[in-house]
Amino acid sequence: MIGSNTTEAHPVLALRMKKAARKGATIVVADPRKIWLTKLAKRHLQLRPGSDVWLVNAMMHVILKEGLQDEEYIREHTEDFEAVAEVVSRYTPEEAEKVTGVPAADIVATAREYATEKHAAVFYTLGITEHACAVDNIWSLSNLVLMTGHLGYESTGLNALRGQNNVQGLNDAGANPAYFPGYQPADSAEIRQKFSEAWGVEVPETPGYRLDQIMSGLHDGRIRALYLIGENPAQTEPNAHHVMEGLEHVDFLITQDLFLNDMTERLADVVFPASSFAEKDGTFTNTERRVNRVRKALPCPGEAREDWQIVVDMAKAMGGNWPEYRTPEDAWNEFADLAPFWTGIRYDRIEEVGLQWPCTDRDHPGTPYLHAPSPSRPNGKGKFYPVEYQPPIEQPDSEYPFVLSTGRTLYHYNSATMTMREEGVVQKQEDPFVEMHPDDAAALGVQDGDWVRLVSRRGELEARAAVGERVYPGLVWMALHFAQAKVNWLTHDVGDPLIGTPEYKTSAIRIEPVGSALKPAAR
Amino acid sequence: MSSMVRFTLDGREASAPEGELLVHAAARHGVFIPTLCHDDKLDPYGGCRMCVVGVEGSPRPLPACATRVAEGMVVSTNSNVPAFRKTLTEMLLAEHLDPNPGGRPNELTDLAADLDAEAPFILPDAKRKEYEDRNRLMGYTPDACILCNRCVRYTQEVMQCSALSLEGRGPHARIVPTWERSWLDTECELCGGCLSVCPTGAIFEKFLEGTEQPERELVKTKTTCTFCGVGCQLDLNVDPETNRIVKVTSEPHYVSNEGNLCVKGRFAFNFVHHPDRLTKPMVRREDGELHETSWEDALQVAADGLNRVKAEHGPQAIGFLASARLTMEENFLIQKLARSVVGTNSIHSCEAT
Ligand code: SF4
Ligand code: SF4
Ligand code: SF4
Ligand code: FES
Repeated sequence: MIGSNTTEAHPVLALRMKKAARKGATIVVADPRKIWLTKLAKRHLQLRPGSDVWLVNAMMHVILKEGLQDEEYIREHTEDFEAVAEVVSRYTPEEAEKVTGVPAADIVATAREYATEKHAAVFYTLGITEHACAVDNIWSLSNLVLMTGHLGYESTGLNALRGQNNVQGLNDAGANPAYFPGYQPADSAEIRQKFSEAWGVEVPETPGYRLDQIMSGLHDGRIRALYLIGENPAQTEPNAHHVMEGLEHVDFLITQDLFLNDMTERLADVVFPASSFAEKDGTFTNTERRVNRVRKALPCPGEAREDWQIVVDMAKAMGGNWPEYRTPEDAWNEFADLAPFWTGIRYDRIEEVGLQWPCTDRDHPGTPYLHAPSPSRPNGKGKFYPVEYQPPIEQPDSEYPFVLSTGRTLYHYNSATMTMREEGVVQKQEDPFVEMHPDDAAALGVQDGDWVRLVSRRGELEARAAVGERVYPGLVWMALHFAQAKVNWLTHDVGDPLIGTPEYKTSAIRIEPVGSALKPAAR
Repeated sequence: MSSMVRFTLDGREASAPEGELLVHAAARHGVFIPTLCHDDKLDPYGGCRMCVVGVEGSPRPLPACATRVAEGMVVSTNSNVPAFRKTLTEMLLAEHLDPNPGGRPNELTDLAADLDAEAPFILPDAKRKEYEDRNRLMGYTPDACILCNRCVRYTQEVMQCSALSLEGRGPHARIVPTWERSWLDTECELCGGCLSVCPTGAIFEKFLEGTEQPERELVKTKTTCTFCGVGCQLDLNVDPETNRIVKVTSEPHYVSNEGNLCVKGRFAFNFVHHPDRLTKPMVRREDGELHETSWEDALQVAADGLNRVKAEHGPQAIGFLASARLTMEENFLIQKLARSVVGTNSIHSCEAT
C-alpha cells in the first residue's frame, strides 16, 4: 500500500484488506502518516512526502542486486529494461534512507518480500498522484511491477484506487480534452472522422484545454465562458484564492448543482437545479472498472431536473441537432456503440451484477484482470520508463519550516457539500483540524484542541491542532474538506507537466498559535 | 473448483460442493433451516443452537450454520428438531420484557410467529439497564438484545474496530461500546455494520424513530453508492408516502461490498432531502441578483450566453468542467455538448485522478 489511506478513502475495500490480513496476508504500508492500516501491517515505511520515487527505485535496486527479478517475464513481455536497470543502480537503500527517512534495512526486507511472493499487489491512490511528479511515481511503481512479473493474474498488479465514485466513468466517457469517449485519442484524424460521422457534425480539431489550462485561461482571457456541472473549483482546486479571482473575470458562468455556494451565489449567470444519484437512472464505474447501475428511487425535488436531461435541453436550446434521448440508456447505447471496449456492456446484462470493461461483444464475460497474459500495449510488451527523483517543488525553509500534506478523511466527501449536511456524521469531525507531532506542539506551546493559524506563501487559515504521533516531527497534515478553512488556500498549483495533476500533497507553511480555544466565530 | 460431495438430506439424495455449510447446502435443496446467530458476513459461529440438525453418528445435534457438508453425511432436519427450536425460542422470549420495541424487523419474533411460540412467562429480572448514547445515528435497546454476539463479531472480524464488547453476566449482560463510552469515543467509524447484522433491531438507526411507516412497507431500490470508487451496491429504502429515503441497507450477495457499507454509504443520504436543495432555475438579472425563473427562460439565457461568447471569441473561449458525481451517461452527453454543439475539446473535471 503506497500513499493510500484505504480505510478512510475506500473504507469497504479496506475491509477486504483487513480480511486478507486476518487470513495471514502480509501488508506493508508506505505512507508519511501512521494511518490505521499500519496497525495490521507487518511494516510501516514512514517516508517523507514526495520521496516515493526514491523509495521505489531503491527497492528495484535491491531486487536487481540480489537477482530477484523475473528474467523470463522481462524478456518475453517487456522492453527497455536496461534503461531502468541503469538508473536504479544509483539508488542504494543507504542513500534512500537519507532522503526518504525509511531505514535501509526495511527497504531491503520489503523488496525481498515483494519480489519473492507470487501473489503480490501494489495499491496506490491520490497519495501518489497528487504530486508535481505524479506521472513519475506511477512509472516507477509500474517498473517495479513489470520487473517482478507481478501482473495479469489474481491478487497482483498495480492497482490504482480511484478517489471518487465515478472518476473512472468520467474519464471513460470522454470528459477529457485528450480523448473522445473510450480513450479514443482526440489528436487522431481517423477518430475525429468516426465521431463526426456518428454525430453528423464536424468535431473540433483544435486541442482542448486541461483543467489547469482552463483555470489559467480564466486569468489571461483565453476562457470567457464556463459551464460547471456539479463542481466547485474554488473548493477543490489548489490555490483557491487565485481560482476565485479567475472566476470573477469570466464573462458568462453556468452552474448546474444541488446547492448554491458562496461562489455560485456571487458569480453564476445561470444556475440549473440538478439531481442527486437517488433521482436518476444511469451507471457509475468503480475502481475495478466495473460498470454498475444507478437507479432512480425518487423524483427530483421541486422543478429540479436530472442532469442528463438538462444537458439534452441545453443542446436543443443552442440549436444542436441531436437524436431524441428518451432515457439515459439511449445515451449509454450510443456510447457503447462508439467505444469498442464497452460495446458488449448493455443495461440488460448489468441488472444484477456489473460488468468490468474491456467487454467487446455481447458474449464477452468482462475483464477482471488487465494485462493478462501480457501488458496491453499494441506490441504486447510492457514498457519500462526510467525515473529520476525530483525533489518536491516547495521545500521547507526557516520562514516556512513545516511540510503540509493534505488528504481525505472518512467522514467527508471532497468539498463536503453533501456530507457536511449530515449532522450525525459531522458529529465525529466538526471543526477543521491539523495533525501535528507532540514535539512540534510542545515547541509551539500548543495543546491538543487549540486553534492555530497556518500560513503559506499563498494564504492562511485556522484549524484545531490534533496532536498525536500519526505524523512525524516537521510534518503536518490536513483534510481537504472544510469549507470554512479551505486548505487549498495554502497549497500551490504547480502541476505535473504531463497530466496537469496539481500538487496538493506538499507545501511549506509556518504555524502560529492563536491563543484561544474558541472557534473563530465565537471570539 | 472444489469437488462435489454426496450426502443425504431428510432421506433424499443431495449434493454440494465440499466444505459448504450445511445451512446453505440445505437451502439449495429447498430445505430452510432457521438461524439466529448466523450471518453470511461473519465466520461460522454456532452459538445459539437455533439451527441444529440431526447428523447420523453424532451423539448430539449439530448447528447447521457451523457444520460443513462431508461425503456420505446423513442429515435430518425434521426429527425432534422443531420441538427443540420452539423451546429455545420460548426461552429467549422469556428473557425479554420487550422483545420488539419500535416494531423493527426482528428475526426472533418472526421465528416465534412461525413456530407458534409465546413467552411462557417473563423472567423476573428480564428488565436490563437502559443505554443512552450521544451519537445521533445508532442506538441500542438492551431489552431487545438476545446476546447473539453478531454485532461484536462484526466489529472483530470485519471492521476490526474493537469498539463493542459484551459487558456483565447473566441477566445483566448487554452489549456496549468498549469501556462503556459513547460510540463516538471509541474507534468506531460509524459504519453501521454492527447494526446491519443485528437480528433483533436491538441496535437501531436512531433517525428512524418517529417515522410512521412500518419498515416492511418501505420500497427498496438497488443502486450504487455515490461517495467513492468502491462502488458499493446498496438499497435505498424509501417511504412511498413521503418519497423520502428512510434508511440504506445492503445484502451479503451484492458484488463489490458483500453487504458492507461505510458511514457515508449507510448514513450520509440526507443531503438528498436537504432544505437547501435548489428547486428552481435561476438567472442573474440587471440588478446583479439571482432570480428564480422558468426552465424555458433559464435555458434560453444560458444558450444565448454561450452562443454570444462563441460568436465573439470562438469556441475555444468556452470551457466545460464535468463531475465524477454524475453518471457515465451524463458525462458522455456533456462532452458531446462541448464537442458537437459548442465545438471545443476543452472538457475536463476537477477530479481527473
Ligand atoms: S458502527 Fe461500525 S465501526 Fe462502529 S462499532 Fe459498529 S461495526 Fe464498529
Ligand atoms: S445487539 Fe443485536 S447483534 Fe448484538 S448481541 Fe444483541 S441482538 Fe445480537
Ligand atoms: S459505502 Fe463507503 S466504501 Fe462503499 S462506495 Fe460508498 S463511500 Fe465508498
Ligand atoms: S444460527 Fe446456527 S447456532 Fe445460531
